[in-house]
Amino acid sequence: MTAAGGAAMIVLDRVDKRFGDHYAVRDLSFAVAKGEIVAIVGRTGAGKSTALHMIMGVMPPSAGTVRVEGLDPYADFKALKGKLSVSFQTDRLLPWRTAWENVALGLQIMGRDAPTRRAEAIRWLENVKITGAENVAKYPHQLSGGMRQRVSLARALAVDPELVLLDESFSQLDHVTSKALRSDFTELVRRVKKTCVLITHRIDDALEMADRVIVLAAPARLALEVRVRPEDRADPAWLRDRHRRIAEAMGGEEAPAEEVADGLRH
Amino acid sequence: MARSGTDRSGEGAPRVRTPGEAERRGGFRRDLIANLWVIAALIAGMQFWSMVAPPYIMPPPATSLETTGTVLQEDWRHILYTITRLVVSVGFALVVGSLIGALMAMIRPIQPYLMSIVVIDTGIPALSWMLFSVFWFKDPETRVFFILAMILIPFYALNVYDGIRALSRDLVEMVETFRPTRIEVFRHLILPHVVPYILMTTKSIIGYATRMTAFAELVSVNTGMGARMGLAQNNLAMDGVIAWTILLVFLNLAVQGLVSLAEKSLLRWRPEVEVR
Repeated sequence: MTAAGGAAMIVLDRVDKRFGDHYAVRDLSFAVAKGEIVAIVGRTGAGKSTALHMIMGVMPPSAGTVRVEGLDPYADFKALKGKLSVSFQTDRLLPWRTAWENVALGLQIMGRDAPTRRAEAIRWLENVKITGAENVAKYPHQLSGGMRQRVSLARALAVDPELVLLDESFSQLDHVTSKALRSDFTELVRRVKKTCVLITHRIDDALEMADRVIVLAAPARLALEVRVRPEDRADPAWLRDRHRRIAEAMGGEEAPAEEVADGLRH
Repeated sequence: MARSGTDRSGEGAPRVRTPGEAERRGGFRRDLIANLWVIAALIAGMQFWSMVAPPYIMPPPATSLETTGTVLQEDWRHILYTITRLVVSVGFALVVGSLIGALMAMIRPIQPYLMSIVVIDTGIPALSWMLFSVFWFKDPETRVFFILAMILIPFYALNVYDGIRALSRDLVEMVETFRPTRIEVFRHLILPHVVPYILMTTKSIIGYATRMTAFAELVSVNTGMGARMGLAQNNLAMDGVIAWTILLVFLNLAVQGLVSLAEKSLLRWRPEVEVR
């Protein structure tokens, strides 16, 4: 069982990650329940991405255990095929594939037949608000940054994973595009009941999207946990207070708390 | 929904200038006019030279053109021999060279050995391969094939190897999140990524390969454009040599055109960029 009271999708237990003598992650433990949206925040170099890479299974821990759906994501790499997908800071679209072909990539690797791939890809593009035969057939260089990131999110969701990992997926977009995309994505993830872990260094993103915010202080160790209820997001005083506490736990102010609270309300 | 499907607010939107259709047509017309001027100047030069030199040194352009027509009618089989040899050899070199390049990039322990073989191969002159082939093989077709394969394989191997090494680590990581097999990584990521490198190699070697085919035919066989050129030279028929040269130039241009068409079709995803 997890802090959220549900069955655990992710469990990190006393995890260390060392690079030579340097600890990127030290004695990190937390769990994420199925269906929960958890934000991991921390300053640059706090070890957020290292923690995410261990959850993705592309890097083993130096000590401790990482489990995703009860499996070791590094040792049982293939066993998690189709259960986990990732959207990155940059869109990482394949330039030789059109928008729908990029979304179909994971489905192709999952062995779905061509008509199913196309239909599913177009459906997921519609879910992220990319519609019309002309738009879905565009190559990445013909799309704006916002649209490319939408395609990237559709690609991550199209394989119908149990767990979606977002690595600073909205941080390179302008404020307006990022806000719209965050809101669409959160609504979509809640609708399809996926577990989601998002890595961000922006406290306002975390408070806006997550059910729970995990704050890491360098080297990645748990500094603070904040539970966010829907009604909390409408309370400017609560938001200001949590923003201040999170910023302190991260090791410094990130942005004036009043601006954040105002930004979340509008 | 705050953003429509057509938003171009585009942080990171491409900041390149794509030449328009009219601009492209204008450029083509300019190139065509320049080419026609150069050809006219060449013909005029040949005409002038033929007036002061004997026919076995420089026949009049009209005679050479007439011989070209005769060759096309009577010796077309030799053109087909050359085209077949060129296509088979380049195709073989493309497949084998690309595989060697891919193996070098994907299987680290064998990389130094394969690289060493390829580098030594690039250092061996084409003439040596021609002489080796005459000593080693009885069958004339095998000789031509061997010469061309040995000369062309390293180009593909080195360019594909470099292409795979230039593959973005971010894209590899992205594809790996879907837990693909090695074959799936090769099919969905590596192969499409190296297509531009393969096409670029083909484009740059095809003229060289055409010349080498003719050269190999000259020393190894008695069929094909190179062999007929040798025969014309033995008969002191300069008009024949010029006729075969003209046909080789046209063959080269036609093959280059086909490669460009393939490039246009296979790389239609690539934006045309013009640097100002």
